[in-house]
Amino acid sequence: MGLDFSEELRKPVTEDEQMETSMLSAKGMHFPWLQKQLETVVTGGKKKKDFAQTTRTCLSFIQDALLKHQWQQAAEYMHSYLQTLEDWDSYKKQAAPEIIWKLGSEILFYHPKSNMETFNTFADRMKNIGVLNYLKISLQHALYLLHHGMLEEANRTLSQAETWRYGEKSSSQEILINLVQAYKGLLEYYAWSKKKMELSKIDEDDYAFTTKSRNMLSQSWKTSVNFCALIKTPGVWDLFVKSYVEMLEFYGDQDGAREVLTNYAYDEKFPSNPNAHIYLYNFLKREKAPRAKLISVLKILYDIVPSHTLMLEFHMLLRKSEKEEHHKLGLAVLFGVLDFAGCTKNITAWTYLAKYLKQILMVNHLSWVQEEWKSRKNWWPTFHFSHFWAKSDWKEDSDLACEKALVAGLLLGKGYRYFRYISKQDHEILRKKIKRMKKSVKKYSITNPVV
Amino acid sequence: MEFPSNLHPTLFMAGPLGMTDVPDLSFMCSWKDALTLPGPQNCKDRALPLAKDLLWEPSMPGPLPLLPPGPDPWDPGVTARDLLFRGGYHYRRRPQVVLDVTEQLSRFLWDHGDIAFAPLGKLMLENFKLEGGRNYSKKRTVVRVKRLLQDLGGYQPWGCPWAHVSHRLRRFSILGGPVLSRSVSLLLGKLLHEELALRWEQLLLDEAFTGGALAWLPSRTARTGQLVYPAGGALDRLYFQEVSLTSAGNPRVLKNPGHIQLRGPVRQVVTSTIQEETLLAVRSDYHCAMWKVGKPGEPAPLKVLQVEKGATGINLSPHLPGELAICSRSGAVCLWTPQDGLQLVYKDPETLAFRDPSPWRWADFTAHPRVLTVGDRTGVKMIDTQGPPGCGLLLFRCGAEASCQKGERVLLAQYLGQPDPVFPPTLHLICTQFSLYLVDERLPLVPVLKWDHGLPSAPLLARLLPPAGPSCPQPLLLGGQGGQLQLLHISGGGTSMPRLAGPPQTLPSVTDSLSTFPLLEPKHQQQLEERLQAPTIGLAAAPPWISTPILLLFQLSAAGDIFHQQLRLLPGAPLLDQTPPPSWTPQATAHCSRWLVDLLELPPSPTAWAAPTFSHRRLLGHMDLQKSEGELPQRLRVAMARGQLLRPGDLGTPPTAEPPPAPECAPQDELSERLSEAWEGRGATWWERQQGRASGSQTQAKRPKRRTQLSSTFSSLTSCLDLPDDNSPPPSPDQTSFKARLEPPGIPPSQESTQELWERGVRSERRQTLRDYMAKLPLQKDTPGPAATPPSQPSSNWVTSSQQQTPVPRGSQAPRKRQRMGF
Repeated sequence: MGLDFSEELRKPVTEDEQMETSMLSAKGMHFPWLQKQLETVVTGGKKKKDFAQTTRTCLSFIQDALLKHQWQQAAEYMHSYLQTLEDWDSYKKQAAPEIIWKLGSEILFYHPKSNMETFNTFADRMKNIGVLNYLKISLQHALYLLHHGMLEEANRTLSQAETWRYGEKSSSQEILINLVQAYKGLLEYYAWSKKKMELSKIDEDDYAFTTKSRNMLSQSWKTSVNFCALIKTPGVWDLFVKSYVEMLEFYGDQDGAREVLTNYAYDEKFPSNPNAHIYLYNFLKREKAPRAKLISVLKILYDIVPSHTLMLEFHMLLRKSEKEEHHKLGLAVLFGVLDFAGCTKNITAWTYLAKYLKQILMVNHLSWVQEEWKSRKNWWPTFHFSHFWAKSDWKEDSDLACEKALVAGLLLGKGYRYFRYISKQDHEILRKKIKRMKKSVKKYSITNPVV
Repeated sequence: MEFPSNLHPTLFMAGPLGMTDVPDLSFMCSWKDALTLPGPQNCKDRALPLAKDLLWEPSMPGPLPLLPPGPDPWDPGVTARDLLFRGGYHYRRRPQVVLDVTEQLSRFLWDHGDIAFAPLGKLMLENFKLEGGRNYSKKRTVVRVKRLLQDLGGYQPWGCPWAHVSHRLRRFSILGGPVLSRSVSLLLGKLLHEELALRWEQLLLDEAFTGGALAWLPSRTARTGQLVYPAGGALDRLYFQEVSLTSAGNPRVLKNPGHIQLRGPVRQVVTSTIQEETLLAVRSDYHCAMWKVGKPGEPAPLKVLQVEKGATGINLSPHLPGELAICSRSGAVCLWTPQDGLQLVYKDPETLAFRDPSPWRWADFTAHPRVLTVGDRTGVKMIDTQGPPGCGLLLFRCGAEASCQKGERVLLAQYLGQPDPVFPPTLHLICTQFSLYLVDERLPLVPVLKWDHGLPSAPLLARLLPPAGPSCPQPLLLGGQGGQLQLLHISGGGTSMPRLAGPPQTLPSVTDSLSTFPLLEPKHQQQLEERLQAPTIGLAAAPPWISTPILLLFQLSAAGDIFHQQLRLLPGAPLLDQTPPPSWTPQATAHCSRWLVDLLELPPSPTAWAAPTFSHRRLLGHMDLQKSEGELPQRLRVAMARGQLLRPGDLGTPPTAEPPPAPECAPQDELSERLSEAWEGRGATWWERQQGRASGSQTQAKRPKRRTQLSSTFSSLTSCLDLPDDNSPPPSPDQTSFKARLEPPGIPPSQESTQELWERGVRSERRQTLRDYMAKLPLQKDTPGPAATPPSQPSSNWVTSSQQQTPVPRGSQAPRKRQRMGF
């Protein structure tokens, strides 16, 4: 209901604005530089107030100084810019604190003479100018303190923000409060983690152990409340999820941890975050989950990021599986990894592929290979097996060149330039390997006429 | 490939642009992006510490021209002044644009009457009798032209209430009225409005040059390379200019450039070097072409493709030699490969994320050689060229996911994969008119970095350069169409996210170079300014060397000029504002003067139309009959007939023979006296005389004293204060002020004293700040500046006029009222 109402409120405004923007151009696009163009033209009519002009000029000066790294200069202009807080244009007056915070915090962050005290004073003042920014500024202030290692101060700032309320709780406010709580939880996690380290050094029978672990338990309960709300909101919360799961696992709440991770990975409202699946996979691996379960998790990761390093692990899992379709997928996975520009020199992937190709062709699954090769045969030769690569691979990494040569030979035949170049090389250590390679190619290459 | 193990916390909200109820957690402040979280677990993730003082310092205050100006004249084209309605503008929060169709229409009818009315004339041909005698036509609808013209002759009925109207004219106007007044204005007005709207849109955003038309081809030998760019009046000649870099990092132009003549203007030049094979592709409006650049520098043509609806973007594959992605205004994206030829990859006349009536399309490559990105104004999608047509994954969407603002649109999408990757080769750069986004194709829709660039023009150019050293961040160059340049430092890669390694910086733009050129008379000054303000249509850089971290940037302007500037990575000393700003070297100034001489020698651009000549010729012929006047009027008439400018010398009379009417004034009035002297061209002598007269001894004695006082009080500011004296003075709009400037002591005594008085109440360190600030402000009635200037200070005039032109930190002096020179 509330949502509908806010939409109703917004509607007339958008219509009005659409009409106006249609005057700007046929498209609904906004041009930040439009105003400047207009000012070169317009002579008559009511102009902007002097006040607006001076403030705007000052703002452009500050931005200019910031981009030239003239912090001193920017700070001086900032003195004058504070007048914008007294703007009688209510829209501008409302936007002013945010602009001042952005520029001011940036100046104070980089200014060589600025220190933590100045920053803290500035942040505290800014929080209370224009109530709407309290949470945002508190959050950024806490992050600043965290960055400088002031964990206690950060915690204090976050606690203050957590209890802050203004008017009716809007959804935007709620998200910010959740974030504040999550960061507080993170701080508690840091403390917990530190204690855990200490605990691991104490003897279990000690009296101190039981009291300490009891303390930790109560703390963990508090923390879980802190994390819970945020990680249900769609977003990327890697840090929080990881910490939360670690704590849950420590207290033996495997089901809770699994639920958190599953939700994080599979909720459709969340962005497709590879890390969510990686975390889940690592958790299941720790839990010693059945292979089928691991495969199903990695299968999804394979669909999102076929170039991930875990794909080699996935390949091994698939090979160990009993199902034939898994064996077939295992081949596709390897081809998939080597499709990507960042993986072309991955020697493990090439070794796996060379070995697996040979193995598959030995058991007469020629059609699998042909299926994979069909979509690649018009670009893999130039992408992987050109004369240039033969030369440069051999020079840089002859082991890699040998593996690639075997694959090239199996897929393109013994007459292909890459294979020919490598097989002609004379290398003391690799001589045997090259000989074996030639033999395999002669026997199993898919270019051989079918007998 | 590794994937970053911890991503930044980000809220993910699906929805349209400009959703106000979502807190914007994107990284608006550059410092926020630099924050790292401590903690026992992620110590290993803590990337490089923040480089607070990361700065590429330009060696000179502005870029310098690399080559002499080309022989073709350049016309800056229409401006907002030509297109927009000039009055009755009320200030609103959202500016409103009104195209000035009526003025343009009336001008068009005047200037191109033949085009506007000829078709109608043909239509009405049967109603006119063009020749023949007096034989009376029975038809009342036929007008005899000869008599009509006679009636019209000599009269200007336009706006003239006393124009004689004969019955013939009346008949003609009754006859032609409905046709002439309505159909012409209706049809023409509609077409003109369309054209004006198009021009206006082009002025706001000229998408044709997206991606840039300048490329740097590195050679095998270090420190040499080739610049490839279009030049010539129509930008239809593709030049290959060899450039070598001296050990100090300055470019030296080698021999005459080779060139290829093309049939259309070059809009985009892209190159790629794969497996030691360099390819070059060029986009024109309706054609794309590809060359292979061999070793001797002789490019061999590979393929020419015609794009019927117009090409909007091309890109060469960074993975496979000879593969080219082409986008058409029809919404089609094609991939051309040497093996399979042309292949349609994607076609959709509709935009990706939401409806937006823009035909602009863009395509680039991804980490997978068979997956392309396809972009339009609303978003960017990844398309598998081998998969079923039409499906794909949105990589970027103008919407709440990336916290986009209302009206935000994609202007440029670029794949940042490079042969020597520091980052994983999965990053894409997306520029909108407000922000810059880095998106990882493995994490679609969620930008891994967002920064508000705040550029005052469309960012259509971007270049990711190799890092200056093994552990240095990678410089990312961003160029606006207006010539503004920004440099971002991006670090990351491996298991950490890409992030800003330090605060971004701006680089000098071409207009900053204006100060190195000598002051010119207004017309030439304007020509120079227009030339320097020409839109930037290309950006290239010679990559930094590991040994000496020097970066060399090249900018191509729409006028066909190439400017270059050199940047030096400052060693990591804490940076204070006190470091002296770079200054022009004498060589640079001399170089610019030479360039300027060449520029001014160019013929002026031909005017689009010439004033109609029918009437005055006829009038002159008529006047020839009365031959009774002397030599002077005859010459006048000859000059008029030829359309020449008549100078006093041409008339054979000395300029003083007929002095212009001098304003009558009382001799005591100094201002009027000076004005009248200046009118007669004796302004300089008057000033000298005045100086001598004004109790020379006293003032002369006072001046040095005041100087020292000033310099001691403003010890830190003097360098800026003296600017107009020793540097080249700012441009001034008229010649009289120019003459005044040439006088030895730039500042009249009283001005110093007023300045002094005024600044007494201000803290010394803030004075310079205030002064810069005041200089930038437009003159207004009640500037909180100095007390009123004494009326006997005529010289304040030129200060005012120069203030209006440039923000030179000179005048805290603002007059009470805008003063005029009176002529």
